[in-house]
Amino acid sequence: MSINIEGTFVSQKINKIRWIPEEYVETKHFFTGSWDDDENSVKVWTFESVHDDENVENPRELSEYKVAGDVTEIKLTDKNKIAVSLSNGEVRLLEISAYERNSPLREIYTWSKLHHINSERCSCTALDTFEGDIVTVGEDEKVNILNGRRGDVTRSISDTDSCSIHSVCFLKLNEVITGNLRGHMKIWDIKRDSNKPVASFHFPGEEVAATCIVQHPTQPHIILAGSECGSLAVWDLRMNKFPTSQLSAHSSGVTEMQFHPENPNKLITCSLYGDVWDWNMESLTKKSGDSYVPLDDKATMNVTSLIPTLHKAVNSIHCSKGRVLCAADNEAIYLIKNLKY
Amino acid sequence: MNSTRFSDANLNSHTIYNKKRVKQFNLPHKCFERNVACAWRRGNKFSIFPGSQTTNKTIENSDNKILDIRQEISLFTPILRKLVNEANGAFLSLQRASDMSKNSDNQVEYLKLSRQYRSIVRVCLENLQEATEKVSDGLERNSLQSFTTIFYSIECIWHLCEILYIDVIPGEIVLPYILEWVRFHFPCHEQTAASLLEACEKGSEDNPEYWNAVIGMVVQGRIDVARALLKLHSSSDSSEFKLLDNSMRAMPVYNVYGGISSGEFTISWKHWYAECRSKYTSGSLALQPQLELILRIMIGDYTAFETIRIKYTSWFDMLGGWILFTMPWAKRREMASAAAACAGLTPGEKTHLDIIIQALLEGDLHQVIHEMQQVSDNGWSATHLTDMLYHCGKLQILDKQIDVTAQIRDSLILEYGSLLMEHKSLWSAGLSYLAATPPEGLKRAELLLERIPIESEAKAMRILAEANKYGLPNVVQTVCGCMSTRRLKSGNSGAALTWGGRTRSTELCARAAEQALRRYCAGAPLPHAELLLTGSTVLLSKYCDFHNLYKNREFRKAAKLLVSLITSKLSPDFFWETLLLDTLPLLETETPVLSADDTYEIMLCLELHSCALTGKKADMLRFALARNLERTALLNLPDED
Repeated sequence: MSINIEGTFVSQKINKIRWIPEEYVETKHFFTGSWDDDENSVKVWTFESVHDDENVENPRELSEYKVAGDVTEIKLTDKNKIAVSLSNGEVRLLEISAYERNSPLREIYTWSKLHHINSERCSCTALDTFEGDIVTVGEDEKVNILNGRRGDVTRSISDTDSCSIHSVCFLKLNEVITGNLRGHMKIWDIKRDSNKPVASFHFPGEEVAATCIVQHPTQPHIILAGSECGSLAVWDLRMNKFPTSQLSAHSSGVTEMQFHPENPNKLITCSLYGDVWDWNMESLTKKSGDSYVPLDDKATMNVTSLIPTLHKAVNSIHCSKGRVLCAADNEAIYLIKNLKY
Repeated sequence: MNSTRFSDANLNSHTIYNKKRVKQFNLPHKCFERNVACAWRRGNKFSIFPGSQTTNKTIENSDNKILDIRQEISLFTPILRKLVNEANGAFLSLQRASDMSKNSDNQVEYLKLSRQYRSIVRVCLENLQEATEKVSDGLERNSLQSFTTIFYSIECIWHLCEILYIDVIPGEIVLPYILEWVRFHFPCHEQTAASLLEACEKGSEDNPEYWNAVIGMVVQGRIDVARALLKLHSSSDSSEFKLLDNSMRAMPVYNVYGGISSGEFTISWKHWYAECRSKYTSGSLALQPQLELILRIMIGDYTAFETIRIKYTSWFDMLGGWILFTMPWAKRREMASAAAACAGLTPGEKTHLDIIIQALLEGDLHQVIHEMQQVSDNGWSATHLTDMLYHCGKLQILDKQIDVTAQIRDSLILEYGSLLMEHKSLWSAGLSYLAATPPEGLKRAELLLERIPIESEAKAMRILAEANKYGLPNVVQTVCGCMSTRRLKSGNSGAALTWGGRTRSTELCARAAEQALRRYCAGAPLPHAELLLTGSTVLLSKYCDFHNLYKNREFRKAAKLLVSLITSKLSPDFFWETLLLDTLPLLETETPVLSADDTYEIMLCLELHSCALTGKKADMLRFALARNLERTALLNLPDED
């Protein structure tokens, strides 16, 4: 079956979109978080077949949870819980009922005023989760570690950097990597009682913000970061400092990246330019540690475009088996079906 | 002072047929009785406030109020936002298509996009209907219903416009398309006809709607259906019925691909027409008035059309029939007389829709656009339709012999774009409209972008990305300047420096660097050294280098750098004390690192800036300098590199 795309306009700019995982059946429910609107919200949706036609699925809204400020990130902490970060500096842990998906989201914990400059609230720009732990970063240059089970702040690394942090990723239980507005990447040991990073390196070339970071699912020493200008850098943490490869990829800012959960050689990325790309990363990750491959030429990388370029930024993607969700600034969400993986 | 917000439903009357141009509002508060003042705010918004204020009262019971008045924009309701966004995509595709086909004719592509616009309107109508069924609130239902009316009209106008100006019609013979248009938008009697045919009973004339349905089918050009209905009449075997049926069957139908020329067709048609006419004049149907009426319609008898006019809500229903029975060979450009004839059937005042349709048929696009602007859809249809026609090359509007087509199109797009820019979320869509009309659009975009409130860095970066995309360096400057100043205010000189560095603005960087130095003097740590890799702040950057060298115990290099900093006299006054005191540990090192010459330089600076360093500290430094001079006077320090 060939790739099939369905778009639906939802009257809200969606900043984050996430599937709700299912164990035995095909995923059909998902979360969206809106931004840049008078009133923003986290919504739960389900796909419904129209007129008994299995091939046409339309999303229907199940519940809405209003929030103050833009939703900046949604990550699952377990099957039915999400951590949501907001531009007013808050982080919330919400739970969806496992059986009644249309019942309203339940709030488990709220960490308010987690990020602030002096007494003024500022945006919590990103978060990541690791077995119930949540790491959040913000414009106030702070890294907070939250415990999603007890609801407290276990560690707060403050004044760590000299400008706002825009992306974060858990490397292992006690290590996180952050990327800031100037493209500086820093690794922090959250168990150590020091405000100094364990390692730091930066995006080569011009100063650009690191907008997203992901870790390779099977080779944890490989880290990928996307930048504000659309380039992608790959670091091998066994040999810090310089990226093993840097790719000039999208023609403007990379907004999100995800390794396909079923196939670690497949990377999906989306950008401000309005495209969604499917990368074959085999050549990049299989080579031995010390060979530097200049990868300016993305043709060698086997990149295919998944949707015709939209006229507005694609903010978020999430894939589950052959189904990819995309959310864009044209106030629409798209479902790409039959992706080969 | 209290601030109240009110929006009056009358501000934007949802009827398509609004005649009044001036609206009157009564200000609800007494305090406005004297000296009312008014000021514009961002976008279509202004504030009214009392010009003379009563100040002697406490805030709580003050009469002073500010009224925020804004136009209610129906396009901003969630259900219509879908339309706005989807149309934005079609609009951008159209611009791209026209860019790609600067020289070649690209009618097929344009037709596709025109259909896309129509399907967008159709989806919107479906959504509106669905919502109307669900909604319980009467007021909301009313507004939804008026939206539905508006978009039905738009769909109808757009479709006709597509037939007359965008579609590729073989031989320009427009009749089949017009008939289709009538059938699609004014489906009168169709259901009655269908149910009668389904029942298929002789004697159907007992149904009170029978004759209306038959005549309706004839007027819509569905001759076959009309014949089938007539067969259901109980006396369908009578000679009158057979006579009419023969005429109906024999009616020649023109087909471009039918293999006969239009001339030939005209001859056979005229022949048929003469036959029908003679049947009528012979009065052979006089006993069956309904059949005679049908025959009169078929020979294009104006009085017959007048007779049936009252049965229809508009004259558009009749348009297809009139063309079919009077001028079936009519080309696209020959619709004016038919329009005038059909419109003439309706006495009395004409609605906007009447005027628009007639103007379309007459080819008066200027009038069409003028009337479309009166539609209460905030300019959605006027803008997109005008742009479509403009790209198809079908729009030519002269004003005093000057071609103003492009100006009209641009001004509509600018207005629409500016309107969207007001909205918190739709600003990026608005921006893409403004960008489609350079150079004026970009100038406006610049002014509007600068005024968008920035709540977070994410928003700032989005605005920067858009500004870079459209080449608006001034916006980049303003946004970075704003962010830098904001960070500076909250005491974060590092972040301020970053934002300053983004625009390569020396002033911003200098300001941030100065604050960093001042804060260092006050005991705060220095910004991270890597921050300054590309900064234009030489002093701060060098000073950080000095610290790094010192930390790494490279005293000789550190000393050299420090002396060069001192001798370059770059330092602002407040920083001299720090710089001079930094020499102290270097003067006291075990092996001398500052040469005699260096020492002289430092001494000179110390005396020149005696106000920066006074008292005990100055004495201490003088003592150290003297000691260093003593041990290095006769020593030649080797250069390390």
